[in-house]
Amino acid sequence: MSQPGTPPTQTAAAQRESREGPPKKKGSDQGVVEQRSAAQIWGKSALLLVILLWCLFPFFWLIMTSLKRGDRALNSPDLFQGPFGLQNYEAVFQQDFLLNLRNSLAVAGMTTILCVVIGSFAAYALARLPLKRKILLLSGVLAVSLFPPVALVPPLYELWRTLGLLNTWEGLYIPYTSFTLPLTIFILTTFFASIPKDLEEAARVDGASPFKAFYRVIFPLAAPGVFAAAIIIFVAAWNEFLLASTFAPRNAEVAQTVPVAIAAFTGAVEFQRPIGTITAACVVVTIPMIIVALLFQKRIVSGLTAGSVKG
Amino acid sequence: MSRKWSRGRWAAAGALSLVAVAACTPGGGDGDGGEGGGEMVWALGGSEAQPGRVHQQVAELWSEQNPDNPIRIEILPDEADQQREQQALELQAEGSNFDVLGVDVIWTGEYSTNGWVESLEDVRAEIEEVSIPGAVESATWGGELWVAPYNSNAGFLYYRTDLIDEPPTTWDELCEMAIEAGQQEDIGGFIGQGSRYEGFVVNWLEYYWSDGGELYNEDQSEVVFDTDTATQVTEWLADAKESGCLAPGFNTATEEEARNLFQSGDAVFMRNWPYAYSLIQDDQQSPVRENFGIAPLPTFSGEGTISALGGFNNAVSAFSDNKEAAKEFVVWAATNEEVQALLATEASVPPTLESVYEDLSDDPVMALLGEVLPEAKPRPPAPQWNNISVEMQRNLFPAYNGEGDPADASQAVQEALEGAVEE
Amino acid sequence: MAATTTDTGREPGVSGGADRSGGPRRREMSETTLGKVFVAPAILLMALVALFPILYAMVLSLQAYTGRQNQGWAGLDNYVEALTNDRFWTALQFTIVFTVTSVAAEFLIGLGFALLMNQAFRGRGVTRASILVPWVIPTVIAAQMWFFMFNVTPGFINNVFGLGDFSWLGQSGWASFAVIFADVWKTAPFVALLLLAGLQTIPGDVYEGARVDGAGMFQRFWYITLPLLKPAILVALLFRTVEALRVYDLPQVMTGGAFNTESLSILVQQYVVRTPDPGLGSALSTITFIFILGVGMVFVRFLGKELVIGEEGR
Repeated sequence: MSQPGTPPTQTAAAQRESREGPPKKKGSDQGVVEQRSAAQIWGKSALLLVILLWCLFPFFWLIMTSLKRGDRALNSPDLFQGPFGLQNYEAVFQQDFLLNLRNSLAVAGMTTILCVVIGSFAAYALARLPLKRKILLLSGVLAVSLFPPVALVPPLYELWRTLGLLNTWEGLYIPYTSFTLPLTIFILTTFFASIPKDLEEAARVDGASPFKAFYRVIFPLAAPGVFAAAIIIFVAAWNEFLLASTFAPRNAEVAQTVPVAIAAFTGAVEFQRPIGTITAACVVVTIPMIIVALLFQKRIVSGLTAGSVKG
Repeated sequence: MSRKWSRGRWAAAGALSLVAVAACTPGGGDGDGGEGGGEMVWALGGSEAQPGRVHQQVAELWSEQNPDNPIRIEILPDEADQQREQQALELQAEGSNFDVLGVDVIWTGEYSTNGWVESLEDVRAEIEEVSIPGAVESATWGGELWVAPYNSNAGFLYYRTDLIDEPPTTWDELCEMAIEAGQQEDIGGFIGQGSRYEGFVVNWLEYYWSDGGELYNEDQSEVVFDTDTATQVTEWLADAKESGCLAPGFNTATEEEARNLFQSGDAVFMRNWPYAYSLIQDDQQSPVRENFGIAPLPTFSGEGTISALGGFNNAVSAFSDNKEAAKEFVVWAATNEEVQALLATEASVPPTLESVYEDLSDDPVMALLGEVLPEAKPRPPAPQWNNISVEMQRNLFPAYNGEGDPADASQAVQEALEGAVEE
Repeated sequence: MAATTTDTGREPGVSGGADRSGGPRRREMSETTLGKVFVAPAILLMALVALFPILYAMVLSLQAYTGRQNQGWAGLDNYVEALTNDRFWTALQFTIVFTVTSVAAEFLIGLGFALLMNQAFRGRGVTRASILVPWVIPTVIAAQMWFFMFNVTPGFINNVFGLGDFSWLGQSGWASFAVIFADVWKTAPFVALLLLAGLQTIPGDVYEGARVDGAGMFQRFWYITLPLLKPAILVALLFRTVEALRVYDLPQVMTGGAFNTESLSILVQQYVVRTPDPGLGSALSTITFIFILGVGMVFVRFLGKELVIGEEGR
């Protein structure tokens, strides 16, 4: 009955109080006392509203701007100034945007899969198996992701050009995986290490190889960390711009990704910033990602505990 | 349960990777290689390079007339810096994917010093005869013609006709009017491009040149920068900020912010390129739509006018497979009447062929351009122009915002200019 | 019940040590080998793709350049030039201030978000997804958006709060504030996500026990939640710090680096791309790299201890 996650409502109020300062009342916590005064409910709702506003308001601005047309409307501080219309969305899709979406999905998807798989193995080894000089290894892994990417681009470009990897999906997801592995390994190592050893012992006693123990027992329990890592990797790969704009700058039909395509949008005349189409493209791109986040967030929070051993 | 789960997961992963690999293979490769013989590639960016727009029409026109050597546009990103980066990647690798390059007026020296472009000295006479002198100046470096003029740009003074009777001829006059009318209407005074970027250097140079200052001498071999004039100009700008002559937001404004401010009626004067004219006119909701006019930029002395020259030139890549045809194309694009007129009539892109301006003097924008372009000065297309520009930005910008000393700033600019000549 | 290798043959030639009759010594050896084998693909991939350009850049930093032309060996000249340049120190100062402020703010807000997302209440799914929205939006677009919000024209924030013509981005101090604010808005969700996942690893019965023992709510948070969350906190802090030290898009788009908001990455970018000097650019990159690595190592030290101790201690 190890139940990850905290019990509801009561602790919510408590934790809100703990963030806001010493508890206002010294209630005892025996049993399930529902102390929901009106003030508490109002307070909680207000806090929730502020948080939602804070997170979503700029997105709301994006949507409103993308629905506007006419030059002044796009640039006015008044959110609700029309005229409104769907022209910006039409314009976006006229530009092969679907192909860009496909490219980004493929590249980010492959990166996520590769990172999670390769990273899991490495993380398991770092967390569980006897390896010498782990701290050194961790530092080395970290170092890889720290060098300013802009300086790495010229040599990589030449190498990719020689290998014929320009304008290809693999030309993108291979370096993406490489540069995102450090973060993945750190996250997964942390989560694997936090799983009680006796669970594994139990599996071994049942005759499983370390390998099987890994799959059947550890991996499911580390699911929150794995899904969190997966989201992080996917979003990072999706939004990556520098390498994508260098290795696949044009040609949506081949490998041009979404951020690069958006950066290439032009206005109706020179100098004009196409804020309408940019925000429309952004909305088109963000909505599926929100859906993915909605799906994954459940996985992160609902710990898989069936069959675990008493701690 | 976990067994099913991991199997399903592997299946999904396997399927996805199969799809990824399979879909990649046919499309993979180096993009469009420069096909041998025939088709040329014109690496160009911006809104007019998009399908159906004027540069595409020019390409089609050429291809019709030269079916053996057609040309097509490889569309680069909108921003000049990114265009330069993408061209640089190709040229540094000595690739033959691009035959003709759309080159900003300030890149001439850099491209020629790097050995990226073919000299056009042998066709210089042809071009020089018919093109705007400023454009030709921007196309030469070290006494040689390296690129062919194509289109141009100059700065205008936009003003509110409902608030101002006669456009000012000096900067001091402008400030007086700006403060008075601004206070009366409770709007900003003068908006230009004052953010810390290349556009600021353009604006500052317009003030500096209009006060008689120069950067280099005729053949760009000597620095003739006048630190006193420079200091004066920067101090004037700082005072203008203090006194309210400059509109709020001047120091974070690029072309678009300036246009938006003026277009929504919140500024009396604006310094901007011609592109804003049609946008303001066509904007049904703008309170300024019928109340604005354009005029040449003022100077400090009240005599004449000066503006900075912008625009794009065409170059022949040194690594092209088809240099002959490419050369013909760039000369044709610079000197052919039909093409240059098309730029003006189809897209209001200022041409570099002088004769076009005489034919189009009905159009207010073209008429003003015809007046102003002969006096437009290009920024020196030195190979180190970017370095110089960055030094100017970094020193002059804080100086006019009250965070640096104008005299020190001028000194630093002088040193940057001299450092570039030495190399 | 004999173990079988179940998947993609990532470990060629490893028998999996599944022999039940194998003695302890055999198991240990194969475990170490297994460990090496598990780590190998990651190391290999990172070495091939990332190590090569890093070494190339470092070699480049020892060469002299005029513009793009190579002028031969320069030894440490580029490094001297970089370190004696005022701009470097100003950029370093801003970068440090930016990092400390924004990571601290992100941590506090992210922790709050994580605690909230952990609750069960109506609409929690939507809340959780909403909290992730800022982070999902591409950085350049978010930067553009915050520019619109803060800039005097169109003056969105000024409009909403009735601040008239207040120039957020046009003066020192407030420009930094705007950039930090935008960064906190954008990446607090990242911290929240990691901490949320971390909260899942804390078994509920620990709380029960503490409650039965009479621990107050705040005490439970302070003495139970925080310590058990330490590994996740360290990972989040490590990566946020390292990312913040490398910030580029936000200040570049919002202010162009004006008014003392130029970060180290903007400086590096300038010397690699805008006014290219491969020698100086690589030297600046290497210096930046060493600095950030140093900071990162401090975290890794702490984190490594956590993981190693955590492994043996539990």
